[in-house]
Amino acid sequence: MAAAVAACRLVTALSRGLGTGAGSNFPGRVSLRIEPRATRLLAGGLEHGCIVVSGTNGKTTTANMLAGILRQAGFAPVHNRAGANLISGITAALAQSSNLRGRPAGDIGLFEVDEATLPKALERLHPHLIIITNLFRDQLDRYGELESLGRKMSAGIARMSPDTELLLNADDPLVATLGEAGGLEKIYFYGIEYEGYGTMALEHASDSTHCRVCGALLDYSVVYFGHMGKYTCANCGAGRPIPDFAATRLEIEGMDRTEVAMQSPFGSLKLEVKIPGLYNVHNALAAASGALLLGIEAEAIHTGLAGYATAFGRAERIQAEGREIFLVLSKNPAGFNEVIRTIGSQGGDGLRLVIALNDLIADGRDVSWIWDVDFEDLAVRADRVVATGLRAPDMALRMKYAGMPADRIELERDLERALARGIAMTPTGETLFALTTYTATLALRRVMQRKGYVSHFWKEKADA
Amino acid sequence: MLETAVAETSAAAETGAMAEMTLRICHLYPELMNIYGDRGNIIALRKRCEWRGLELEVTGLSIGREVDPDAYDFYFIGGGQDREQILVASDLVNMKGAALRQAAAEGAGFLGICGGYQLLGKYFLTYTGETLPGIGIFDAWTEGAEKRFIGNMVIEWEPAAGGKQTLVGFENHSGHTYLGPDMKPLGRVIKGFGNNGEDGTEGCCAGNAIGTYLHGSLLPKNPRLADEIILAALKRRYGMDSLPPLDDTLEERAHEAAVRRT
Ligand SMILES: [Zn+2]
Repeated sequence: MAAAVAACRLVTALSRGLGTGAGSNFPGRVSLRIEPRATRLLAGGLEHGCIVVSGTNGKTTTANMLAGILRQAGFAPVHNRAGANLISGITAALAQSSNLRGRPAGDIGLFEVDEATLPKALERLHPHLIIITNLFRDQLDRYGELESLGRKMSAGIARMSPDTELLLNADDPLVATLGEAGGLEKIYFYGIEYEGYGTMALEHASDSTHCRVCGALLDYSVVYFGHMGKYTCANCGAGRPIPDFAATRLEIEGMDRTEVAMQSPFGSLKLEVKIPGLYNVHNALAAASGALLLGIEAEAIHTGLAGYATAFGRAERIQAEGREIFLVLSKNPAGFNEVIRTIGSQGGDGLRLVIALNDLIADGRDVSWIWDVDFEDLAVRADRVVATGLRAPDMALRMKYAGMPADRIELERDLERALARGIAMTPTGETLFALTTYTATLALRRVMQRKGYVSHFWKEKADA
Repeated sequence: MLETAVAETSAAAETGAMAEMTLRICHLYPELMNIYGDRGNIIALRKRCEWRGLELEVTGLSIGREVDPDAYDFYFIGGGQDREQILVASDLVNMKGAALRQAAAEGAGFLGICGGYQLLGKYFLTYTGETLPGIGIFDAWTEGAEKRFIGNMVIEWEPAAGGKQTLVGFENHSGHTYLGPDMKPLGRVIKGFGNNGEDGTEGCCAGNAIGTYLHGSLLPKNPRLADEIILAALKRRYGMDSLPPLDDTLEERAHEAAVRRT
């Protein structure tokens, strides 16, 4: 064990020194090579056990929000960061925070887990709380179809001991059924009851709009985004579970602040969410509900959430050359549509955008999904777009077919030059929106580090 | 209001008689068979008609709705996940099959992508041994296999106008499709797997019907194929034999980028 932990630390230190990344998956693979049971053994040493957060969108944000609340409440969470959410990344987080005897420095594990890895992670971590945010089509070439992904997750959950707590998003028809296969006794639901910010039409990108019981098309009385909403099946009567933890009222105040009134079995509380988008209300709701289930007080939840700094790259405001860059990781149709809706709700026209599309394995090799995004809604608000990344021409073409005149679309494959072009076309004091896929976010952030617009992200996190 | 009127007039002046023409598309099961950006194909057809002053009407027909075989110039069906494809197969065969076969026999255009392509064939034998019927517009059948064919694909295609071109896209399918002796493939695989990973063929053509595993979306990045589909429909309905050209610089660059990434 000592060798596994030592090797992991050494490799992490080396990769940081070489600037190859913030020590994510590789060090964990090294320690698993030396001690295959490393994950289980290290996790077993955590005094308050483990919490697992999984789902397509929002798992990083939810886990980070919950980490902030846990720290506020006096816990010392061991937490995997920056999307290192496979077994190797979880093991690395555990090893890096452990002494050479394999005793962790923290007292509670908080792990975001890749959806496809969930069964394996559950088996090794034995969490006492599992939170599932949502399931969207995301890189189907890697994950296989949503349906079979749901079956695998459900089977993994069913193997847990009956007193495991399961917290599910009631507003996602597929997620809401994930606890039905097993004998779990403590299944809870969270959801948005307030209908003021929903719409009535399902977006094109909606994935899961069929009844899980009989296959009939679901009736939605309100849609929040994607296939999140209030639904029932007119055919067989199956429907959305009543949320135990419910957002009963929302006040959205621009891009910076949403106030949420929340009801729960532990009483009512107020949340303050300082990042934009209805999907972040779901994330905050998941984090707050999880914290309540752990017995954390309302005050610590409110303070922990309000102090939440955005997860690296998910939505960041960066000052550069007298402009503000609003950088958002946008990785699949549902996420992208919500970003577009959020930018739209700011009321701005004449937007300037850099959109970066990469097709590496972590982005998904298949770029077809950009045709499921409602770029038409962005095209009418955009003044100029710089399309960049490895599949820049695909992105430029998408904007052309979304209705933007070709002479307002610039094609620049190189990210650094695309960023410079974006800054140049944005007047001083105004905002440049950068919507970027996963590896493009990392690459763009490296460019911004070199330029001195941002610092290295693990340094920021160490201070957090 | 004024702006719209002016734009319409100038488009009509430029394209002459085309402004009077309307093409009618039937989009089969738009909310069930819409995986992998399939609606990009409809967007491409719509825009390429619009830019030429042609009108395009798109009608979505889902489960429980009958097809009037005289009402449409072109039928589109995309791919779906397993559950959706099973729901669709029984409706397609029982509710719409006869009308669609009639439309195909009378020269209407068809484009089936991935799961949609499979359903236009005779049957799909799943990996677990069930048979999912198709409507038999193509003499082709599909067998489920363990290995999934995933990746960028480039094929060589011979346009109706002659010569040789490439078509690009992304394939993601576990069904292996085999063509009957009289069926013509859409093209020959240059890179990727295609119909079955064995015989080098990709897709299928019969009359004006096309089936293929290429998504990506297919038509935006393969504008010549999009125009061939539009022209075939215009020819059948209005006797036209050419299309005004468009500036396809960006389309060609996306096509080349896809070839480079394959
Ligand atoms: Zn039902």
